[in-house]
Amino acid sequence: MDAGLPAERPPHVPEDRVVDFDMYAPPGVKQDFHAAWKALQAPGVPDVVWTPRNGGHWIATRNRLIDEVFSDHERFSSRVILVPKAIGEQHGLIPTTLDPPEHRPYRTLLNSSMAPKVVGANEPRIRALAAELIEAVRRDGACNFTTAYAEILPIRIFLSMMDLPPGDAAQTKRWCDQMLRPDGSMSFEECMARLFDYLGPYVDARKGGDGDDMLSRMINGRIGDRALTRDEALKLSVQVLIAGLDTVVNFLGFAMLFLARNPAMSRELAGEPELMPAAVEEFLRRFPIVTIGREVARDMEYQGASLRKGEMILTPSVLGGIDERENERPMEVDFHRPTAAHVTFGSGHHKCPGAHLARTEIRVTLEEWLKRIPEFSVAPGKTVEFTGGIVGVVDALPLVWDVETTRSLAA
Amino acid sequence: MVQISFVSRGITRTIDARGGLTLMEAAVQNGIEGIDAECGGACSCATCHVYVDAVWLDRTGSPDDFEAGMLEAAVGPRANSRLSCQIKLSETLDGLVVEVPAAQT
Repeated sequence: MDAGLPAERPPHVPEDRVVDFDMYAPPGVKQDFHAAWKALQAPGVPDVVWTPRNGGHWIATRNRLIDEVFSDHERFSSRVILVPKAIGEQHGLIPTTLDPPEHRPYRTLLNSSMAPKVVGANEPRIRALAAELIEAVRRDGACNFTTAYAEILPIRIFLSMMDLPPGDAAQTKRWCDQMLRPDGSMSFEECMARLFDYLGPYVDARKGGDGDDMLSRMINGRIGDRALTRDEALKLSVQVLIAGLDTVVNFLGFAMLFLARNPAMSRELAGEPELMPAAVEEFLRRFPIVTIGREVARDMEYQGASLRKGEMILTPSVLGGIDERENERPMEVDFHRPTAAHVTFGSGHHKCPGAHLARTEIRVTLEEWLKRIPEFSVAPGKTVEFTGGIVGVVDALPLVWDVETTRSLAA
Repeated sequence: MVQISFVSRGITRTIDARGGLTLMEAAVQNGIEGIDAECGGACSCATCHVYVDAVWLDRTGSPDDFEAGMLEAAVGPRANSRLSCQIKLSETLDGLVVEVPAAQT
């Protein structure tokens, strides 16, 4: 949350560009995360706005502009990607805070573990775990989806790819959560320190080894003709760890909440499994959850506003797919849309390397769930709430279903 | 929907893809052989390399400097080479035909 005082509007920012918007707690976020962000696309709101929150920064509010800012590393640098900028300056992880050309050799180190072929080879393991977790709750007729499934599957898969102990999930997740949705109990600096301390021994043990796990492959890769330094190895590993522990976890909550509230569409999907890839893409369009930013690289005029070198501009992927200028009836989920533009995975040189893994986990989750529990709803009387941050989240998702309507299937 | 044909070693596979996806994403989601997309679409690996059929070149456009640089590292680059992760699908590309380089399959 924005613990600082609102920044003073600089003279070069006109009054009519100012909105009071705290990306960590936008007004109304508790009731509806996406509606809270959609307020920035209300009639009369300029395409590029300025908020005094979080140190004062710009926000690009339209899909086309967000895409443009992501894609233009010369005008919009990744040197700092978080607000408040004072926090963002402490981030410095790899490869997220590097611009081309430095960025590429580090990004290449991720390729071998996240490429579609590798993800494909992992799919049976993902499916088996999905089946196991779902079967474990099926006969209960109820579960908190967040704790029973969403916080387990993506994290376990990820830790196993990194060959880190599954028992470390809770602790590492807590530190990541405090970075992405700080509640004041841990500072950013503290979270980073804990993550570095955690991964340090593993990095030291595996550096120079011939391990086949993602951590080994990343840290034993080459940058040009030299090995990665220990510092680089840590920064790369911590970044990848953060990315893997919080994104799919939270996205699944949004997709399942939608299906729980829309039984006709659950039935449609359960009855027509060939719709699933299109459904996954449509969910990605409708429920993006990540907000990141860029640093303005030089003074410029942009969309009628004067941007100064060093200012921060947010590129909320949240506002991409739900932009009505891109997609008709944007807040409606429609599996049959012929066209749907979004920037849920970002775009440009930092486009999410985990996108294929994410799509696979989402698809497999929905497939395995609907095969076994095709009809389910939110527990009566329970209000579902949301929290904002760098990654938005469904706080808890209490689901109920009639066990008679479920099917037991072997993994 | 956008219809795309991938020609590989003389055999054509035609798929329907949603507008808004990149050509690479459509290929990967449909299991098209030879489009490895190792970097996930960050214009950082050149393993999503395709040859765009001549009649489609003006509608797909030309690579920017960065992509052109990456294409030099692709296998067997030609004048009609593109990285499919840099081609965004829309109705104007309905019917697009691309060839998957033989060296990639």
